[in-house]
Amino acid sequence: MDILLSGQLLIAALIIGSIYGLVALGLNLIYGTMRLLNIAYGDLVMIGGYVGYWLFTLAAISPIIAMLVAGVLTGLLGAALYFGLFRRQLSGRQSIERIEANSLLIFFGISIIIQNVTALAFSATPRTYNALDSLVQIGEISITQSRMAALLVCLGLSIFIVFFLRLSPLGLSIRALIQNRTASQIVGIDVNRVQLFAFVTGFALAGLAGALIGVTEQISPFMGFPFTIVAFVVIILGGLGNLAGGLLAGMLLGIIETYGVALTSANLRSILIYGVFILVLVLRPEGLLQKRRMT
Amino acid sequence: MSLNFSRDALPLLLVAVGALCLPLLGNDYYLGVGFTLFGWVALAQSWTLVSGLAGYISLGHVVFAGIGGYLLVLTWGAVPIWLGAIVGAVGAGLFALLVGLPVMRVRGPYFVILTFGLAEFAKYVVINIESVLGKFSRLLLGGPALQDLYWVMAALALVGTFSVVVVRRLRLGAGLIAIREDETAAGTLGVPTMRFKLIAFALSALLPGLVGAMFVLRTGYFEPLQAFDPIISFTIVTMAIIGGSEDARGPVLGAIFLVLLSELLWSNFPQVYMVILGVLLIGFVLFAPNGVSGLLDRLASRSLQRPGVGLV
Repeated sequence: MDILLSGQLLIAALIIGSIYGLVALGLNLIYGTMRLLNIAYGDLVMIGGYVGYWLFTLAAISPIIAMLVAGVLTGLLGAALYFGLFRRQLSGRQSIERIEANSLLIFFGISIIIQNVTALAFSATPRTYNALDSLVQIGEISITQSRMAALLVCLGLSIFIVFFLRLSPLGLSIRALIQNRTASQIVGIDVNRVQLFAFVTGFALAGLAGALIGVTEQISPFMGFPFTIVAFVVIILGGLGNLAGGLLAGMLLGIIETYGVALTSANLRSILIYGVFILVLVLRPEGLLQKRRMT
Repeated sequence: MSLNFSRDALPLLLVAVGALCLPLLGNDYYLGVGFTLFGWVALAQSWTLVSGLAGYISLGHVVFAGIGGYLLVLTWGAVPIWLGAIVGAVGAGLFALLVGLPVMRVRGPYFVILTFGLAEFAKYVVINIESVLGKFSRLLLGGPALQDLYWVMAALALVGTFSVVVVRRLRLGAGLIAIREDETAAGTLGVPTMRFKLIAFALSALLPGLVGAMFVLRTGYFEPLQAFDPIISFTIVTMAIIGGSEDARGPVLGAIFLVLLSELLWSNFPQVYMVILGVLLIGFVLFAPNGVSGLLDRLASRSLQRPGVGLV
């Protein structure tokens, strides 16, 4: 019982929650604006992990800088995919009706390709490296620098994005597109530009988070899938397309997971996450935190 | 009941003739390939019943094969082997009925990810049961010979193909297609949507239950991570998309194509095989959403039109 009340566990929950929140935010941006279900999302996290690994191992570049490089790289990949595959799909009237189901299959194809190209290039062997591993002491709690960095960057970036969406013109256009696509076209929003921005930002966030995650976890070509699942759990909990709801849901899942595992055993972690996922989908597919249905 | 040759008779003939010819090659290698091929045909046809006809795309069909395999393992030694396999199929069907009640109410992309989550959930539950029981992978010694398994699997592929041909002609099939086109309208016009969806879901679980049991008998061991491998679900979907999931022909064509491709590449270049799989999936979704089967239809109608144009 003492463990449950300790600050150590709380901070662990917050770290996991903030990572989940940021990862899900990118997925939610893409789903909300374009109704594209990106199940290759975890693989972008994996790419970010490898970028961090190679930059540190070959050039001793700190993960804090590597995370920017990773974000730019996955963002560029996003731009390439947007122009190459999705722009045409999003502009045709027929294709847009089938976009949700189709995007799921297309992104699944992309996911297989990314995973296996990575495995061909770097082999399937899991890798780890030690960077930012000195301890930071806050009162009775001690955490590694890398986890501290993950917490600060994820929280800071998430809050920044939420404010950006509420205050800047581009952010407001994104929210308009999420609320009503046709109406935003009528009031003169450049849908194509906003979509590109949301797509690239979503991809960049995944890569960036990946570089941070890679410091604390094993990196392998197939590490991405659990993150895809977690991101889906989070955005369904928070409501598909509801960005702030997703952040809260990320924290909620982090807390459920950390305390659930502490109360039971680490073996039950996956059952816990999938259990929450199934319950939410069956009981409230519109999300726990969603106030009204989107049109 | 009239049979359309290309849509109905062709896939049935392909499976039947293939099943009779492969053993003539007189080599266990070909029997093994045939066993795998017919397994995939049976899985892809079952998937077509609910996902092709009703449009409820299941991304977790492996769960039924996994349950079938696991029930066979649990009843191993207690009942005769073939009875164990049937228990597996019935168990998978009952599971589909039970979870179908809440799950089939969920629509569209939510349903797709829900089926995936359900399969993963079942996988981790079985892993935990096994670890509580203190078993980490189970060996099954003294299973049936490959030859027997081959004939059972060929029969399952034939039954699967036949079931799609038949269901498409029943009220059930018409109702399922109506649900795919517009579920609300179908309900208004008197299609018992929930009952039809449940029946289709349960039917689509029976054969995979048996196929899963056969896979376990063939390898001679059971390991949850392998029996519930999500790649199996994805391969089923890819087969149906590449072949086309409008009728019984698509899954047969898709399965033949992917099994040949995998025989050529899997053992030496597994990653290249997977990359090609991904490229094919994207290509077909974007450019030929009705699969090879749809391409054939278009080709046929074009060659029929050409002489007409010439006469004018």
